[in-house]
Amino acid sequence: MKTLAALYRGESPVDFPSLWRPAATASLVAVLLGLLSFTVLGLNLGLDFEGGTSYEVRAPDASVADVRELMADLGAPEARIQLVDDDLVLVRSDVQDPARAAEIRDGLTAGLGPVVAFEQVGPTWGDEVTDKAVTALIVFFIVVAMYIAVRLEWKMAVGGLVAVAHDIVLSVGVYSVFRFEITPATVIAFLTIMGYSLYDTIVVYDKVREIVGRLGATERYTYPELMNLALNRVAMRSINTSVTSAIPVLSMLLVGSVIMGAATLREFAVALLVGIVVGSYSSLFLASSLVSVLKEREERWSLIGTKVRGRTADGATTGTRTIERSDAVGTETRATPRRAPGGGPAKRRPTMTAPASGGVPPRPRKKKR
Amino acid sequence: MPRRQLVHLLGIVILSVLASVMTVVWGNEPLLGLDLQGGVSVRLVATEPATEEMLDQTVSIIRDRVDGLGVAEPEISRTETGVLVSLPGVDDQERALSLVGTTAELRFRPVCAVTTTARVETAASGSWSGAYAMCSDVGSGVVVPAVGSDGYTDPEDDLADHFVVLGLRGDDSGQRYLLGPSVLTGEAIADANPLFIDYQWQVGLDLHQGRVGVDGFNEVAARCYMGDPSCPRIGGSANGRLAIVLDGQVVTAPSIRAPEFRHDAILISGGFEKAEADDVSLSLRYGALPVELEPENTRVVSATIGEDSLRAGVVAGLVGLLLVAVFIVSYYRILGLVALFSLAISGALLWAIVAHLGTQSGLALTLAGVTGMIVAVGVSVDSNVVYFEHLKEDVRDGRTARSSVDRAFPIAFSTIVKADLASLIGAGLLWALTVGAVRGFALYLGLATILDLVATYFFMGPMVRLLATTRWFAEHPKRFGLPASGAVPVRRAGTSAEVGA
Repeated sequence: MKTLAALYRGESPVDFPSLWRPAATASLVAVLLGLLSFTVLGLNLGLDFEGGTSYEVRAPDASVADVRELMADLGAPEARIQLVDDDLVLVRSDVQDPARAAEIRDGLTAGLGPVVAFEQVGPTWGDEVTDKAVTALIVFFIVVAMYIAVRLEWKMAVGGLVAVAHDIVLSVGVYSVFRFEITPATVIAFLTIMGYSLYDTIVVYDKVREIVGRLGATERYTYPELMNLALNRVAMRSINTSVTSAIPVLSMLLVGSVIMGAATLREFAVALLVGIVVGSYSSLFLASSLVSVLKEREERWSLIGTKVRGRTADGATTGTRTIERSDAVGTETRATPRRAPGGGPAKRRPTMTAPASGGVPPRPRKKKR
Repeated sequence: MPRRQLVHLLGIVILSVLASVMTVVWGNEPLLGLDLQGGVSVRLVATEPATEEMLDQTVSIIRDRVDGLGVAEPEISRTETGVLVSLPGVDDQERALSLVGTTAELRFRPVCAVTTTARVETAASGSWSGAYAMCSDVGSGVVVPAVGSDGYTDPEDDLADHFVVLGLRGDDSGQRYLLGPSVLTGEAIADANPLFIDYQWQVGLDLHQGRVGVDGFNEVAARCYMGDPSCPRIGGSANGRLAIVLDGQVVTAPSIRAPEFRHDAILISGGFEKAEADDVSLSLRYGALPVELEPENTRVVSATIGEDSLRAGVVAGLVGLLLVAVFIVSYYRILGLVALFSLAISGALLWAIVAHLGTQSGLALTLAGVTGMIVAVGVSVDSNVVYFEHLKEDVRDGRTARSSVDRAFPIAFSTIVKADLASLIGAGLLWALTVGAVRGFALYLGLATILDLVATYFFMGPMVRLLATTRWFAEHPKRFGLPASGAVPVRRAGTSAEVGA
């Protein structure tokens, strides 16, 4: 809460670079768990991917045993039966032949009640959908990577895609671990998660670029330090956006599915909620750290890094130096000389020779029009 | 406040009000998809590889059949391997399924009479017995063709060995053809092609050899040429006419001008336009459906389930919107209100577009589309959040609120454009590369994203700038959710210097 309040006030209370290592470890473990579950347990594929038939029958007084007996009489004893919302019975069977499916449907209507929804899916449909989705995914990755590389830079494209892939693996992992059913709605949800994650990452990267562009030229800060400033400044926005994005999804989950009983909405909402949380996390911790690591390898930034570390080698500071607000502002408008001699918040960096800036804020611009 | 900004602001407000009003005036309403209003959807797959032309033909035949069902917006489209039929809001689901699934037969029937008056007879039996069905049997009342209330034979009574009354395809002048029992089926036809002969479009017909082929045809042709009672002369013409019937409609009913034909030299002329000749020859070539179709995927949703889903989606959306409104206003105060108005503007425009597409182009709004829009709410609000946070940051950096407003917008907007473009790329790819529900989702997500950009650029930005020109804005930054410090730069300078010293 304290941290949140500080973030709200625009201070930089979080030392992001110190969190990168634990975050990366946690993500790695989570991704491995997700992949493990995916290979061992697999996914609980829904009707649309496996083929078969489903019937929703309105039968207020039916019990599962009754329905099972009826289905056995109709020659489909292997059917899965589920009571939904008091008066609906959901029946699933492997029957793929349209004629047989229609027979069972008539049987259910006669023996149980009106069939309000009916779905019959052939065996090849799922493969086709999966193929299309995989193609779309690959093309999506390529195009988006090119887009980020052009608009921002290629190292950010790498970071962004790793973050997106991480989010997808985690979301699919959640579905695998908890045995949620994969339906076309779930696929849509996964695609949305990719969108969210990417959107979030780009907003973060754009801030990083802005800060690096402003303060990078001074060569007084290492890349992770600049990144830290950018992340602290964009964190509140990330939190707010996650909250405003999560609210409609939560309402979909609660109002749409729990209170009013629309199963499609429920599955969709669960996947989205996971995606929103993971997406914000990955853009703040994963996408940024990866770019930081890649940038530190560049000659320029590694030189600056050695120089700055040399200066602070007496151990006055551990972890990431926080760039004070006045510093962040001071170097921004280089044209106006307003360095107050001897001023400036140099307390945290005792070894620095020339404090960057005084406490005098930029003069308010005159309103021109 | 430059004039251009004011123009943008007024323009977008007027546009969205106008769009809303026109939507109501034109009576545009979003077309609800199958999952929201109930209905039938069937995905049919060809049992053997089919060309595009064959599938297109299949689509138009199914469309003809479905037209009789009274479905407001049937969607019948070709897929790579078959046909997708979607009939939202169809009442008689059983009949819809059977209509779409069955493959009707092409039949040759002699024409007994052509009238324009309806003879409505219920309790009828169209069957007959004997070597050849005599048209005179109908006139004398021995046989009575089964006719529905509209004066035509109903599809279920359209049996091969019955007398029937049918209309001409594509002709609504009310002409009724009284036809004898079927004498030959589409199996006899080997090929049919449009030909341009003697300065007019004709249809050249090739038949197979043998009984089910040219021999069978010639047997009838001889009787029709003679004007035999089983295929009489009508209205003073020299020869009888032989109708080719498909799906309960007469495709063409040419007079037989020769007693005998060679199997590959039969010409049907009738002053056809090129398109008509194409159409007739396609019908002849492929018979009922050019390919055999198998239902691969059937979905039936009852109207009540559809309504429930719609209600759940709408209620969830409204509750979510309300909570977002509470959050955003309590956090950003008056700027939060601006964000809400911005959302309202993009919402109004989106509604107008969805309603227009639904009414004019038959593009249905599905549950996936609704969720796409709910998701878009988050993205739209984010555009505002990005700008407002930037504003706060600048004010904390010591700028006045007014100067921050001018400076922050281009930077924030460039961020928004970058992020929204990524969303648009995603939506575009999904639209192009996927099928079904995912496409609907992509469309509405893309639309909402574009409108978000529009509302941000034309409404939110200018509106905040307009507010920034007021004294109120400078004096009460807290009411705008902004930190107070930046607005009073002199005092802050003092404290800051003390800290630094």
